[in-house]
Formats: sequence, structure tokens, C-alpha cells
Amino acid sequence: MFKVRNLKFKYPNSKDYTIDGIDFEIQDGEIFGFLGPSAAGKSTTQKILIKLLKDFEGEIEYYGKPLLSYRDEFYQDIGVSFEMPISFSKLTAMENLEFFKKLYKQTVDVEPLLKRMGLWDDRDKKAGEFSKGMKIRLNFIRAMLNKPKMLFLDEPTNGLDPGNARIMKDMILEFKKQGGTVFITSHIMSDIDELCDRVAFIADGKLREVDTPRNLKIKYGKRTVKVEYKEEGNLIVREFSMDEIKTPAFFELLRDKDIETLHSGETTLEEIFIKVTGVTLRG
Amino acid sequence: MDRLLPLVKGEFDRLNKYNLFTANFVVLLLWVGMVSFFEGAELKMFVPVIFLMDSTMMTILLVGATLFYEKQEHTMNSIMVSPVTEDEYLLSKVIVSVLNSLITVVFISAALYFIKGVTYNYLLLIPAIIVVTVVHSMIGIRLSYHAKSFSSLLVNFMVYIFVFLLPTVFATIGIIDEKIAKYLIVLPPDVSNILISALALDVEPWKLVFGYTYLTVLSFILYRFMIKPKFNEYVMRETGV
Ligand SMILES: Nc1ncnc2c1ncn2[C@@H]1O[C@H](COP(=O)(O)OP(=O)(O)OP(=O)(O)O)[C@@H](O)[C@H]1O
Ligand SMILES: [Mg+2]
Repeated sequence: MFKVRNLKFKYPNSKDYTIDGIDFEIQDGEIFGFLGPSAAGKSTTQKILIKLLKDFEGEIEYYGKPLLSYRDEFYQDIGVSFEMPISFSKLTAMENLEFFKKLYKQTVDVEPLLKRMGLWDDRDKKAGEFSKGMKIRLNFIRAMLNKPKMLFLDEPTNGLDPGNARIMKDMILEFKKQGGTVFITSHIMSDIDELCDRVAFIADGKLREVDTPRNLKIKYGKRTVKVEYKEEGNLIVREFSMDEIKTPAFFELLRDKDIETLHSGETTLEEIFIKVTGVTLRG
Repeated sequence: MDRLLPLVKGEFDRLNKYNLFTANFVVLLLWVGMVSFFEGAELKMFVPVIFLMDSTMMTILLVGATLFYEKQEHTMNSIMVSPVTEDEYLLSKVIVSVLNSLITVVFISAALYFIKGVTYNYLLLIPAIIVVTVVHSMIGIRLSYHAKSFSSLLVNFMVYIFVFLLPTVFATIGIIDEKIAKYLIVLPPDVSNILISALALDVEPWKLVFGYTYLTVLSFILYRFMIKPKFNEYVMRETGV
């Protein structure tokens, strides 16, 4: 649904391009992860895709037409949650949602969403009196308010407790199951691994990789199996290549020794992140 | 324009919740309190001052305050990723300002009628209040673009008043020649004053015709060239979102 070609963007006061010529596509119905070190331009890219930053170079097509040729119908289609939770602090959670609801043609009943996100009992509390995690959950509900076709989520689980993060991830997966498309950024690699169909890595304004997490793991991983076993009280570690595991030596080892652990050399997204972007993870 | 009504309603709701209505109401009570000190001809001179101050100064301050809150809480960004267009958003601010000024007209006029038994030409007052408020809500928006905080908005406001009122003051005390003083009608506070004073004083008709035409044209020019083109830049400036 999105086609991005040679996208470049520079903030008015900066002399370098924050986004320096990137190309990617987002397919209908996929969850597309956008990864990169802090200040790499992830949030900036999201703001360009949601038409907040309009002075970009290059081409962005949404369903075959230039993004900037769309007017309010584009915003009927999308739901956005920003990096920082945003709400009218002196209005209650419910009043916040009611205000935004009136701006759309099509909306959902917020009660089930509030209940699922654990905010139903606090719906009449002022948003300014919410804890950080509560504000984040309220923002996610706001993004879902208009039955969007596509969600833009900038670090949605950042600052959530594991239980609520689980619920939010389930909701994102259900959204996808019902045909929704998602653009998501996160520094939590396990979330990305679990949610994303494809991921892009951005560093220094350029895209370093765009692929499925599985393909990246194969590409960056070692095709080996590592075995740890005990022999006469000593721990021994041996590594076999994928070809070697077909040989009798490997089978005999499995049969005769007390195996303690057995690992394939598949790498994690975290290691790929560090290799691809050349930076260590934040936090 | 389907979103105009919910935007206007939402704005009133927030004026209430953010205590701006209360602040406005306190000012209205102060005006009513001051009214009781005047009688006769003096009162006739004083009433236009109330409406002038309300539709210029209060308009700028209220519009500035709502923009300031929305900027500070970044809710502006949220509204701009909803189907609301820039025109709808800005227009809702102007409409709310006009409604607020009209509420003042009703409140003060009622108070004057009940306390002093005073009536005046409401038909001349209402259109004047509308054009003056429209222009000044735009000036308020424009001043907010340059303001980093609410206090710097106040400073901008003072500078505006100073720059535009000074020539009028000079003319009154004779520093500016009478021939030139005649042209001061092009200054927004001056022309606003003339239109609103018409409720109590006799103003030459050409001045009224000029005043209405001028403020209407000025509103369009301000909107088209100074408010709308810079709005997106204002929304996006220094947003940490
Ligand atoms: N409004 C702005 N004006 C000027 N420069 C900005 C603005 N917003 C962001 N930048 C700059 O653009 C660069 C990219 O910022 P961006 O917020 O897109 O990073 P990010 O990848 O989302 O980082 P993080 O992981 O920390 O959220 C940074 O160098 C930042 O300083
Ligand atoms: Mg970011």
C-alpha cells in the first residue's frame, strides 16, 4: 500500500539529511518493523508517512497515488500513536476519546477497548493524572478509535509492564489477522521478532537491510550446531556445521554422551541489529 | 467542514476545563464593577472601551492561550493526524473567538440594561464586534507562531499594542501632524475603535464603510498569506513526539 522511493528529508535548521535516500514498500496486511539506533530517523520517517512533515524529496505512493494528493480521506484510514503519549491533560480519558471520535466518519465502541486495556475503571479520571503506562494505553486506544486500515505505532510498548505489553501485542496481531497493516518502530527486539513480517534497518539516514526476520537470521547466523556435554566430570563444547550433523560422529555423540545443551547457531535480531547498524542497543 | 461543529464544541469544552472561561468571566465582572462608577456621558464613552478591549485584547489572549496549551501538550499533532484540515482547525479558533465576544456583548449589555437602564444600537455593535474579533483572532494566532511560551506571547502582544497604538497617542498629543493622523485609520486598533465607537458616537459613514471593507479584506490577507502557509511549520516546530 505504501511505496517509498529515494526518500530524502532534512529538518529546516539542520545541514545534513536526516533521511538520505531510502526505498521500501509496505504490503497490504503486513506488520513492517522500522529499526535503528536512537536519532536514526525512525520517528521522522513515521511523521513523513503520516503527512506531518511534507517537505520531503523523493516519491511516496499510497495505493498508487502520491501521498500528498490525499486529503482528509487518508486520515480516515489510519491510526497513529506517537512516541510520547499525547492527550488533553484536563479532560478525562473518556472525554479525550469522545472528542476524537467525533472527528471520524466511522468509529468503534470504546468500552471493550478500555476494558481490555484495563482502563475502564479509570475512564473518568483526568488524563493528566494518569501514570505513564496508562497514558500509553490510552494512546493506543485512540489510534484504534476509527477502525483504521493501517496503524502507525512509534515504540508502542515502550514503558508498558509485561502484562499490558502482552495484551497490546495480541491486539496488534489480531488487527493484522483482520486485514490491517502496521508500521511499527521499537527498541525491544523480542517484540519486533514476534510481531513483524518484515523489518528494515536504518542507520546514518540509509536503509541497511529490508527483509523478513527469518531470512536475516539465516543470513547473519552461523549454520552450526553447538553441543555441550559432560565427559568424566568435565564440560565439553563442540560445534558442528550443518553438513557435519549428517555424519555418524554427531549421532554417536548424541547417543553416548550426557548432553547438557544443544543450540543451533541461529542469531538473534539483537545481534543482527548491532552488526547491521554498527551500534549497540540503547537502554 | 463536517468537523467544524465538534471542533467548536470541543474548544468550548476545553475553555471550560482549562479554566479560561472562568478567567474571562472574572474580567467581565470587573468591567461590570467599573461600569457602576460611571454615569451619563462618561458612561457613554466608557461602554465602547469595554467592547474594544474585549474583542481585541481578550481575543488575542484567549486564542493565544488555547494554542499555547495545544502546543505544549502536543494535542495539535494528534488533531492534525485526524481528518481535520488546517482550514477547519483555524476556522474553529476564529468561530470560537467570535462566539466568545458575542457572549460578552450579551452579558455586558444585559448588565448595563439592568443596572443602569442603558441601551444602545446593538445592530451597529454586533457586526463591528464580529469583524474586529475575526481580525484579532488572526493576529493572536500569528503572534503565537512567534511565541516560545505564554509569557513571550504576552510580550509579543505588548509590542503589537505599543507599535500600533503609539501613532494614535502621538496624534492625540499633537506630535503627529493632523494631515497624517487621518491615515491612522489603517491601523487595526484605530479602525476597530472607530467601528465599535459607532454604537455611542456619530461616526462619518465613509469611515464605517471603509472600516468594514478594510477589516474584511485584512482578514483574508492575514489568513491567506500569514496564517495558513506557516501553520504546518508551527505545528511541527520543536515537537518531541
Ligand atoms: N523537530 C525537529 N527539528 C530538528 N531536528 C529534529 C526534529 N526532530 C528530530 N530531529 C532530529 O532528527 C534526527 C532523527 O530524529 P528521530 O526522532 O527521527 O529519531 P529516532 O530514530 O526516532 O530516534 P529514537 O530511537 O531516539 O526515538 C535526530 O538527529 C533529531 O535530533
Ligand atoms: Mg523515535
